[in-house]
Amino acid sequence: MAGTLLRGGGHEPLLLVVGGLALPVLLGGLVLRWSAALAVGVALLGAQQAVRLALGPDSPDSWTPLSAGALLLTAELVWWSVEPRVPAWSQPWQATRRVGTVLLACAGGSMVSAVVLVAAGVPISGGFGLELAGVAAATGALGVVAWVARSH
Amino acid sequence: MSRSATPKLGAYAALAAAGLLAALVLGRPELAALAAPFALALVVGLSLAETPRVRGIFELGTERQVEGEPVEAWLELEAETPVPRLEVLVDLPDGLESEAPSLQVLGLAPGERAELELPLHCAHWGAYRVGRVFLRAHDRFGLLVFEETLDLRRPLKVYPRGEALRRVLRPFETQVFAGNQPPRSRGEGIEFADLRPFVPGDRVRRVNWRATARRGEPWVNETHPERNTDVVIFLDTFAEARDGGTSTLDLAVEAAGSLAGHYIREKDRVGLVAFGGVLNWLTVSTGVVQLYRVLDSLLDAEIFLSYAWKDIDILPVRTLPPHALVLALTPLLDERSVRALVDLRARGFDLAVVEISPVPFVEPGKGELDDLAYRLWLLRRDALRSSYLQLGVPVVEWRRDAPLQAALEEVRTFRRHARVTRA
Repeated sequence: MAGTLLRGGGHEPLLLVVGGLALPVLLGGLVLRWSAALAVGVALLGAQQAVRLALGPDSPDSWTPLSAGALLLTAELVWWSVEPRVPAWSQPWQATRRVGTVLLACAGGSMVSAVVLVAAGVPISGGFGLELAGVAAATGALGVVAWVARSH
Repeated sequence: MSRSATPKLGAYAALAAAGLLAALVLGRPELAALAAPFALALVVGLSLAETPRVRGIFELGTERQVEGEPVEAWLELEAETPVPRLEVLVDLPDGLESEAPSLQVLGLAPGERAELELPLHCAHWGAYRVGRVFLRAHDRFGLLVFEETLDLRRPLKVYPRGEALRRVLRPFETQVFAGNQPPRSRGEGIEFADLRPFVPGDRVRRVNWRATARRGEPWVNETHPERNTDVVIFLDTFAEARDGGTSTLDLAVEAAGSLAGHYIREKDRVGLVAFGGVLNWLTVSTGVVQLYRVLDSLLDAEIFLSYAWKDIDILPVRTLPPHALVLALTPLLDERSVRALVDLRARGFDLAVVEISPVPFVEPGKGELDDLAYRLWLLRRDALRSSYLQLGVPVVEWRRDAPLQAALEEVRTFRRHARVTRA
């Protein structure tokens, strides 16, 4: 959130309001161990980025992969915090292994994010194939959501 | 194992979808790039997730133990697939406790075995089946949860500890088998009974030389033969008074176990009648096997709510042998058991009643009316005891904080006087 504010480009008050909303929601989710509130809090942090990008210049933001990795790290840590406390998880090998997995996931996420940005910057014109790929991606995303809904 | 999604999976999917939609709406690829790590976590996490396969073996150190004593238990788990995080919860029935943490977490590689030690403490008597194990495994990213229940139950019998008794009640009449009790009759034995003049046929080894020298003619010793007795423990299971973890039935079962153990050690024959909503009985017999039969029957004793009227006629004939001492353990809370005991006395059975007092389990009310009702209830109980005493039935009130031995001594005293009165 601080990184977004530093790159606010004159819209710091608005970004502060959006980011400021995320903090109490996240805190409430942590205190109440409420997963939905955590999701909303992380989404608000993402929305802060979206507002900055929408109000900012049209040029691609090269800091986005870092922000994406940080957002995933935030999400991983908050969900880790609300998991049931089990004494055995304080064992060094368990904690180290898990921290390693989380950091690896965040680094991988940043890399994928960078790939997405690079791909978006490739000067290719639109066409049927690209639109088909977009539809397939959207359908795939909906499929994942539907699968999650079914398995609950 | 059953599989279900965690809330985290749903949240990540929603975040990824929202980011992609926002990128489309706002026309900013950076938002798709922001959503990409969440989509990646979903794809990788779901691709790598594998349903864990875990096998388990549950062993108990012993199948029989006494209340208050520990029992060792082991749970061995073997994974056929990698399980990064496995939560293990052994479901312990009420009455068994464990000092080990109830929930244990471990990670297993394929083919790896893990052995968990579960030191159990037998807090309460009962017949248990221990070993239902709940397993919950998570995938590496915490997106899916797999759950399974392993039924590895093993029987465990926890016998009531009871009280070590030095002396118990004796029936008025003995039986014909050899035992430790001297009957009133005289015969071949080692317990001295009396002296009498020598008659032809007496064995020389029975001559009492000191009495013979004093009286100038041969006198011989008379002895009591050693005989056993029959004791039927009558357990009232119609109703109980309960206060938290203990009840009058618990006390009755502990007392019955102590009494049965003592009588059988004395070579007496012991039977059991659990008279209540469900009738349970054991005909009289002796030996260690019979002791375990009695104890096992006691473990099954419980209160079954029943409104059916039952009297002593429903008992099989052989459960109450002639000349047996019927030792009733009852809270005297149910009219049916009260009448049944009176009926037993009327049929000439040698009866003694140990009243497991429900009074310590009952709190007097706070209001004046409640206090009056409580006092009336106590008066009715006194009247009931008096009616038993008038019938010649020794009845003694035994409270949970007093030793059973003291209650039995009180009954012994009553019976001694009752015998004089009869004579």
